Amino acid sequence: MDKSKQPLPLAGLKVIEVAQGVAGPHCGRILAAFGADVVKIEPPAGDWARSIGPFLGDNENVESSATYQYNNSGKRSALLDLSVPEGISTLTDLVSEADILIEDWDITSRALNGIEKDRFTKLDSSLIEISITPFGLSGPYSYFSSTPIIQLALGGYLYLTGLPGKEPLMLPGHQPDYLAGLNGNGAVQIALWERDQTGAGQFVEVAMMETLATLHQFTMEMETYEGFVRNRNGNLWQRESAFANYGITTIECIDGHICFGISTEDQWERLCIMIGKEVFLEDPQYATRSGRRSVAPYLDSLLKEWVGERTRAEVMKEASETWGLPTAPVLAISEVLEDPQFLHRGLFTEINHPISGKASFPTFPFKTDHMRPDVSRAPLLGEHTSEVIGY
Amino acid sequence: MSATNGSTQGSLTGLRVLDLTRVWAGPLATRIYGDYGADVIKISDPRVPLISPNGLNSKLNRNKKNIGLRLDKPDGREIFLELTVISDVIIENFRPRVMRNLDITYETLAKVNPHIIMCSMPGFGLDGPYSEYPAFGTTAEALAGIPGLIGYDSSLPISTGIAYGDPVSGLNAVGILLTALRHRNITGTGQFIDIALAASPACNLGEFFAANSSNGYTPTINGNKSEHYSPHGAYPTRGEDQWISLSITNEKTWKALTEIINNPILSSEAYYVFENRKKDEILIDAHISDWFASKEAQEVMFQLQTRGIAAGVVSSNRQLLSDPHLNQREFFADMDEPLFGVKRYDGQSIRGNFINKSGWKTTEEVGGSSKEILMKLLGYTNDDCETLRKEGTILFQ
Repeated sequence: MDKSKQPLPLAGLKVIEVAQGVAGPHCGRILAAFGADVVKIEPPAGDWARSIGPFLGDNENVESSATYQYNNSGKRSALLDLSVPEGISTLTDLVSEADILIEDWDITSRALNGIEKDRFTKLDSSLIEISITPFGLSGPYSYFSSTPIIQLALGGYLYLTGLPGKEPLMLPGHQPDYLAGLNGNGAVQIALWERDQTGAGQFVEVAMMETLATLHQFTMEMETYEGFVRNRNGNLWQRESAFANYGITTIECIDGHICFGISTEDQWERLCIMIGKEVFLEDPQYATRSGRRSVAPYLDSLLKEWVGERTRAEVMKEASETWGLPTAPVLAISEVLEDPQFLHRGLFTEINHPISGKASFPTFPFKTDHMRPDVSRAPLLGEHTSEVIGY
Repeated sequence: MSATNGSTQGSLTGLRVLDLTRVWAGPLATRIYGDYGADVIKISDPRVPLISPNGLNSKLNRNKKNIGLRLDKPDGREIFLELTVISDVIIENFRPRVMRNLDITYETLAKVNPHIIMCSMPGFGLDGPYSEYPAFGTTAEALAGIPGLIGYDSSLPISTGIAYGDPVSGLNAVGILLTALRHRNITGTGQFIDIALAASPACNLGEFFAANSSNGYTPTINGNKSEHYSPHGAYPTRGEDQWISLSITNEKTWKALTEIINNPILSSEAYYVFENRKKDEILIDAHISDWFASKEAQEVMFQLQTRGIAAGVVSSNRQLLSDPHLNQREFFADMDEPLFGVKRYDGQSIRGNFINKSGWKTTEEVGGSSKEILMKLLGYTNDDCETLRKEGTILFQ
């Protein structure tokens, strides 16, 4: 049997997704790509992601949102009004046939629609229900309103990005949602492992704020082990603490910026030789990481001199191939789409949509021997209502 | 109905993972497996201590067993192959040539266990023009387009300060390995999976690529300013480097904000309309900044949120650790470290049937479970262990 033709591992699983925006839908997108039948329940006006930019093609309408199309690839769309009792009753019927429910009801919308936390899991003990919300279903922030910048702020990310003393800067787009969506997919896969063995489902809560709080490398340890408030420091590494070092920095080339990620002692030694400063290896000033860090602007100027009148690609090639140093160009969106490594790996795929036309979407960051994820177009608003609900 | 704060038996009971990963992305993934009750065996070089005074590795290696094993010695490699036979997953993040030099590639390991799922997490992926290049979380995010979208203006791109390639790859690993295990359980075949650190953040920017490829959409780089919401950004509050984030998404919350601030300029009817606020954003920001300057961040956050306004403290590490919401939700894990006393760590953000925190184990030093693994899992004798210790193949604690 041709291994690429093996059935996808989630084939046969039925998923009901009552989540809008990015987080829950991103989780559902992954399940659909690996074979699950994902039915997306949208309110009559559509998932709110349909109304936000950026848009595809020349028109801004519910069938041209890039955010919607990326995160709902391969699903079916059925319209259902959950603000009326019949809507909830129809949903309950649909969920009773499903293996997995992905929802994003926070405590406010649960109260509004009368959906108690165990409404679905108590009817079916094998159901896997994934709740993805900004702050979770309990605690003093559980009623909070938020957008990505608020979630980044409370999750400890915002404080760390930007120049010292200046306004902290947010990560682009919808990062807390994407991270929570990935965490949600992890939750589904973990719960499926248990269910495949025991038959038992579970209710799993994923909050964006907590997701971010678990995705810090040593931010909290700087406080708990060393008593430092971790600062933001532009493109340079930590100024103080045991983590102070030089070599994570960004340098301007003739065609843009390049990022260096020197982090080990042998990389530091090769950096010194590369820029013609073998003398540093004997100099006590450079014997310690904090010693190097304290003269970072000077070291940046030496590195800039070495870069000279070269392009990012030329610098990356020499620093990586000759010197074994981690570097990468800082790419613009249009450049990422054409990067030779990503092209070689087939990171992007072109999808044609009947209304908004062709566009390139990321597939997945991994390659697998025997699973070919199916990345196809997102559904039109209510495209599958009649086959799913029967009217 | 399960509680959302853990259970006595984790969901991943019965899963065995060999963990050859170092630094962040890989250990983050296997930490989630460990929290969920998988038998995670971390394989460490006996010459390099794991636990350091800065706590870095202690955070990521809880709930794992450790064996100190020299993979570059013939006996050590043999033990690794024996462990491969009794495991479900192998995960590593060395540079590609390291695994080739040790001759522990997927091809070799699949011969001793065809059901094994093996995952490599190299910087750029195992094929392609950059495949042999070294990488780091910060360079990975640069290639993916992340810092190209961050800056006060377009003159200087700014890195995240998070080494963002790592956490995104770690979360991708958690999901795809379990998906591959399901594939194995259905088809009987193992497989190799290759996750590129640099590709992971790009998959969190899907809408940008789609729009750019469709119609050339290029976002303006302008601090925290938004194309949809205004005002939008972080504003200084009372105290040193204290900030609050604010995001006004509609007319209703704008009106609520102006009622609280009570400044006639801001209360102007013209500003009910997004386009007018956007046009005068600098002026409006100046007035809002004046008002926030004397306020205490947490107090004013609750004051605004009570009126439905999206606002949040810009938490430093210190503020995060004492955050009232995380604490009330019992998010943190206070663990008694043999060398350092009780230390507070982030808990488990996937709140399903993970092991109750009272049953969590602190990070083991290199070789902490060498004896148990060799004798209980592989059937070695005390004498065998002594020989391996003497030849320096295994470190025992």
